Amino acid sequence: MALDGGLLVRHRVPFSQEPSGLKRLVNRFRITPMAVFWTLITFILVIPILLFLSVAFSPRLMSQGHQWFTLSSFKPVFSGAYGIALLHSLIIGVVAAVGAMIIALSMAWLVIRTNTPARVLWNTTIFALFLAPSYLIALGWQRLFEQRGVLEIMGFSVAPIRNLLYGPVGICMVLMVKGIPFAYLVIANAMRGLGEEFEQAVRVHGGSRFEAFKVMASLLMPSLFSAMAIVFAEAISDFGVASTLSSVGHFSVATYQLYQGINSIPVNFPVSAATSITLLALVILAILAQNKALRGRSFRTLSGRTRPATLTKLSFFGKISTSGYIVVLLIVTLGIPVFGAISASMLQGLGSLLSHYSINFDNYSRVLHSRFLRNPLIYSTEMSLITATLAVGLAAIASKVLTSARNSRSKRFVDFFLLAAVALPGIVFAIGYIFTYNLKFINDLGLHIYGTSFLLALAYTANALPSTSRSLVGNMGQIQESMMDAARVHGSGAAKAWVDVTMPLIARPLLIAWLLTFSGTLLELPVSELLYPPGSPPVAVGIELSLAGFDYGGGTAIEVLSILWALVVVGIAFFLFNRFAPPGWKRLGNLR
Amino acid sequence: MSENAPVNAYRVEIRGASKHYGALKALNQFDLTIEPGTFTVLLGPSGSGKSTLIRSIAGIERLDSGSIAFGERVVADNGFHMAPEKRDLAMVFQDYALWPHMTAFENVAYALKRRNLDASESTRRVNEALERVGLSSKGPNYPFQLSGGEQQRVALARAIVGRPSLLLFDEPLSNLDADLRERLRVEIATLTREIGATACYITHDQSEAFALADQIGVLRAGELQQIAAPEEIYRSPANRFVAAFTGTSGSFLGVVTEVRGHHVQVALGKRRIECRTSTSLKVGDSVEVLIRPSATSLSHHHSNSLPAIVLDVAYRGRGYEHVVECEFGVISSVFATESTARGSRVEIYIDPHNCLAFPSEKRVEVDLSSSELTPIK
Repeated sequence: MALDGGLLVRHRVPFSQEPSGLKRLVNRFRITPMAVFWTLITFILVIPILLFLSVAFSPRLMSQGHQWFTLSSFKPVFSGAYGIALLHSLIIGVVAAVGAMIIALSMAWLVIRTNTPARVLWNTTIFALFLAPSYLIALGWQRLFEQRGVLEIMGFSVAPIRNLLYGPVGICMVLMVKGIPFAYLVIANAMRGLGEEFEQAVRVHGGSRFEAFKVMASLLMPSLFSAMAIVFAEAISDFGVASTLSSVGHFSVATYQLYQGINSIPVNFPVSAATSITLLALVILAILAQNKALRGRSFRTLSGRTRPATLTKLSFFGKISTSGYIVVLLIVTLGIPVFGAISASMLQGLGSLLSHYSINFDNYSRVLHSRFLRNPLIYSTEMSLITATLAVGLAAIASKVLTSARNSRSKRFVDFFLLAAVALPGIVFAIGYIFTYNLKFINDLGLHIYGTSFLLALAYTANALPSTSRSLVGNMGQIQESMMDAARVHGSGAAKAWVDVTMPLIARPLLIAWLLTFSGTLLELPVSELLYPPGSPPVAVGIELSLAGFDYGGGTAIEVLSILWALVVVGIAFFLFNRFAPPGWKRLGNLR
Repeated sequence: MSENAPVNAYRVEIRGASKHYGALKALNQFDLTIEPGTFTVLLGPSGSGKSTLIRSIAGIERLDSGSIAFGERVVADNGFHMAPEKRDLAMVFQDYALWPHMTAFENVAYALKRRNLDASESTRRVNEALERVGLSSKGPNYPFQLSGGEQQRVALARAIVGRPSLLLFDEPLSNLDADLRERLRVEIATLTREIGATACYITHDQSEAFALADQIGVLRAGELQQIAAPEEIYRSPANRFVAAFTGTSGSFLGVVTEVRGHHVQVALGKRRIECRTSTSLKVGDSVEVLIRPSATSLSHHHSNSLPAIVLDVAYRGRGYEHVVECEFGVISSVFATESTARGSRVEIYIDPHNCLAFPSEKRVEVDLSSSELTPIK
């Protein structure tokens, strides 16, 4: 055995395999998954967002005015109708975010950590909430409570409820309902990864159940803040409620003002861009608050040593009261809008001035037999499959970048642009796409993609990427980095280590993210409306066209069939996962 | 080179390795050589850079500058970085890093994938590895169904199953209880030497380091303080930090009164003791005297002893360890085969060979001309 004996050997090793300069250059510029990721992020997020937002400061840059630099586009945003709408959006966003987070946290705890009987109801219906865009939830309520709507036809007097619905209360309620599934899935996934040892530590040291719950809530902080950030961003950028309850109730919100700006002639792009920047600023403030609250604290709890949690056994009274809570929540969030949509879809004569109404399945029959009504569903399904796969792939990489231990530039960059994109209303995003991909220099590059399914898929992906990424961040942040390191040092390349280790650990959240993106895209309205290729309307446009033609029955029948189809896809996906995924993949997140 | 080293055991050469995290220098121009088939332990406190070093050897971290070579093969050199999976090594992690979605068998088998063995040979080797760590019946269990010690054994089996050329250990025993730690330490020592791989092990526990190592490197603030055989580190620490970090039972401040080669006489208040030094000292220098645990014993007849009172006594199986207080401070781990009651007055013999004097930055005032200075008994 040769030892240095306290002296350091200082001669240089003859490094016979030192790489050549050319090889180093190739190494530096080779096509890696990260390079592909950054290229896609640049083209689908960064360029459209930056070009559109730049109009607010430099109208002349995009031929929208005479000034190279001006802040005058911001003046209308903070005064008059725009200012009021912005304030309304801010208040509504905060109420929806806090409300949705509290409800989601309580539901996650009941469903994952207790034996309350009604939890099976929640687990099987949570996706339905995701599937229904806010405009469909609002339309469900509208069909029930509007003048000469379903309830009035049934002989009920609902004017007081209608007055509440067509105002801030109704808007907050729908946005909160729409936010609950986002918040729930983020929190529930994090809770599944949280072993029971933390709770046990509190209990054995004299803490009550409530104190254990508080500790658990602290450990869930990243997901709680993530949930609130997502709901807040979704709420203030929502267009579905703006186009329904807000417009009917004359309670303006920022996105509705944007919509009006875009629909005015001539189109006022600079003010729309300025409003978008202001919305962005609001979301960024929320995220800054989130980061400040979490700074310097580690929440990595998922590792090979994590033991699954056991269920809390509720008393009889506990079971009754928690089940009652879940049932009431289901009725309010899902039952009423579903009843509104189904009853409207089966009611012949709704929307007309007829005094005679009948109930049957004629509207469904029309949808299934009409190519005009059926094809949008097929087209939207194809687009949703592509979008969900692409968006989840990118979101997985983005969430990995966002949860890396180092506060790198790339992390801050991804964080900023994903958040910026969350805050951008879909309709503005779509206009950004129209804007960018019609620009002369883009066409000069040979990118003639405006009006194609390709551009629509890119826009869908870009639109879905921010929220999909955010939903994975909580889970990705729980994975101990040493598990990936272990795979690398034991012979797997980065991609293989990812597939072998990271993917199985977040298989369930990945599946959920894929299903959410699929369902969200299937019924997406604003991007579809502005970017669909001529002759190929997606399903949301098909519904809008029917409703615009006062075919309430046909429109709501397409709506119901679309949601049922999305539920079928969800069911098939979970069946395949439970049937064919390796046992270890399924074990994570399951209960003992 | 170790006799049982296989031909593929790596010689690891690290030259000028530097790594910064912002303003923090984790490694600073670090040089190290590990001979093939030897077991090297890198010992240091938190923040000394040992984790960064072992992760850089593994390829998990990229060096800012400097180079690492395994034999003739360069794996990192000023911008060039070989991916971890191409380095043909294995690693045992502090938190085990077992994959929770795989069984113990699958965790171990994973490390064999790169060997492209047929299924039956792979199964045979995995079973053999699990058997060698005493877990032959635990193959179908998931990590959460195993105890902490069993999980770390699975991690050990995963590391050795592929017979890698280099084995890295990142404080693998720090999460285990004392008894388990000792048993696993022995297993790590024997299994590693059996397969003949070069081993690099990091720890902050000096007893672990001395028990395992062929050579020990002591790190501080990203720099190597000393690298040598355990015996040499213990007997001739290069500086006060190395001496203090490798085990002392007490320290006193004093002034050198006489220098005789590698031995000096130090005045502690009104008493003098003899001790060894590896640095050049002169009469009048302020020094810190560090006393190794092996230097002390309860005595009634030796010179170089100090009067003290027993503060505490603890039974250690083979005898008793006493904590005593003399007029210059507290000395712990004073061993005796017989117990001495708390509060008893005793004489503590201090062996000059295991008592080390280092220059002290703190100035100590002793009147060397005073006739009251008590000579060594």
